Amino acid sequence: MDAKIKDLIEQAQDRYLKSDELDLLDGYVKSLPERLTLYKLLRDREIEILQKVADRAEIELNKTDTADIESGIKNLILVMRYCAMGMLLNDENFLKQRLLRWLEQIMALKEMRQINDVLYKLLNQILRQELSTHQLSLIQPLITTAQVTLIY
Amino acid sequence: MISVADLLQDNQIPANYYGYDAYIKGDLELGLLESRRGDRLIAVPDTLIQALYEGLEQETGQASRLVLFNCGKWWGKNFYTRFSEEISDYYGKPLAELDMILFLQCLKECWLTHGWGRIEFDPTYQNQGFLMIKTYQSPYSKKLAKPRPSCFMEAGILTSFFSRLTGRDLLAIQISCESMGSDCNRFVIALEDRLAIVDSSIEEGLDYESIMTSLLS
Repeated sequence: MDAKIKDLIEQAQDRYLKSDELDLLDGYVKSLPERLTLYKLLRDREIEILQKVADRAEIELNKTDTADIESGIKNLILVMRYCAMGMLLNDENFLKQRLLRWLEQIMALKEMRQINDVLYKLLNQILRQELSTHQLSLIQPLITTAQVTLIY
Repeated sequence: MISVADLLQDNQIPANYYGYDAYIKGDLELGLLESRRGDRLIAVPDTLIQALYEGLEQETGQASRLVLFNCGKWWGKNFYTRFSEEISDYYGKPLAELDMILFLQCLKECWLTHGWGRIEFDPTYQNQGFLMIKTYQSPYSKKLAKPRPSCFMEAGILTSFFSRLTGRDLLAIQISCESMGSDCNRFVIALEDRLAIVDSSIEEGLDYESIMTSLLS
């Protein structure tokens, strides 16, 4: 749940919510069926989508050690799982606080930038083919946040 | 050829074991705080630590440092056991086989999540056989009547922790302290006989840079 809605819930002890505040909650609840559909799609096609990334990455990164690409893919699997949950909750902080702060420090020390650069480019290409424009608009901001944090 | 299905064989990919939201659990009805593994956690009031320092100083005078250091050592022994069990269960391999980056990151996150402040490993003197650990916002850094580094319990915990980790008898001595206006608490860790001069240097009031220079010369 995004921070604004969490704040509203905290107001429970002081007062009833105003109509425009309830609209915010209403908007989130109405977006839930789409979020759930996308979540299930990402869950059920996890291996298929990431296998495509892995296949192309092996070609593009032919000079890189396979173990390093595997480690990059494993981290990408984690990032996608957290992105999917963050999308379901409409909460980017879930991704940032629970995963990115941690991965960022591990990756900074491991020089994974070049591998990640390729992996995220491929993931974005594949998701553009696999998801509808609306679905993409729900998940893309989270993936971009991860990409920006881990690469730049 | 990379197979994603194989990478996902046991389905779980370990991330940050000590992430605050995931690590701290509570059973409000019983009034218990627990770690994600079910070990009990308690919040210690800052004033209790202050009271321990003052009470011990009053009752035992100079010996209070040693008492606190030994409490820290005892704590460190148990902390090492808990830490290594948690990490080896979660990552599915013994602590010794964990890569160094992951190990240090776990230790940092563990420190943070328990509210002990920040901990950092400084590799500057590693090749000369000295480990340097820095801590920030330590709850054990208290102003003493006669100014000197005061994180005795932390020195104890680091002594046991790194001795158990390396399998050698190491000693951690604090050479800079937030309570004396330093940017952080520095602990130099090495074999005991290599640190023989440190105690007298602290009594003379030398700063950490001078102490390190004399250790290295």
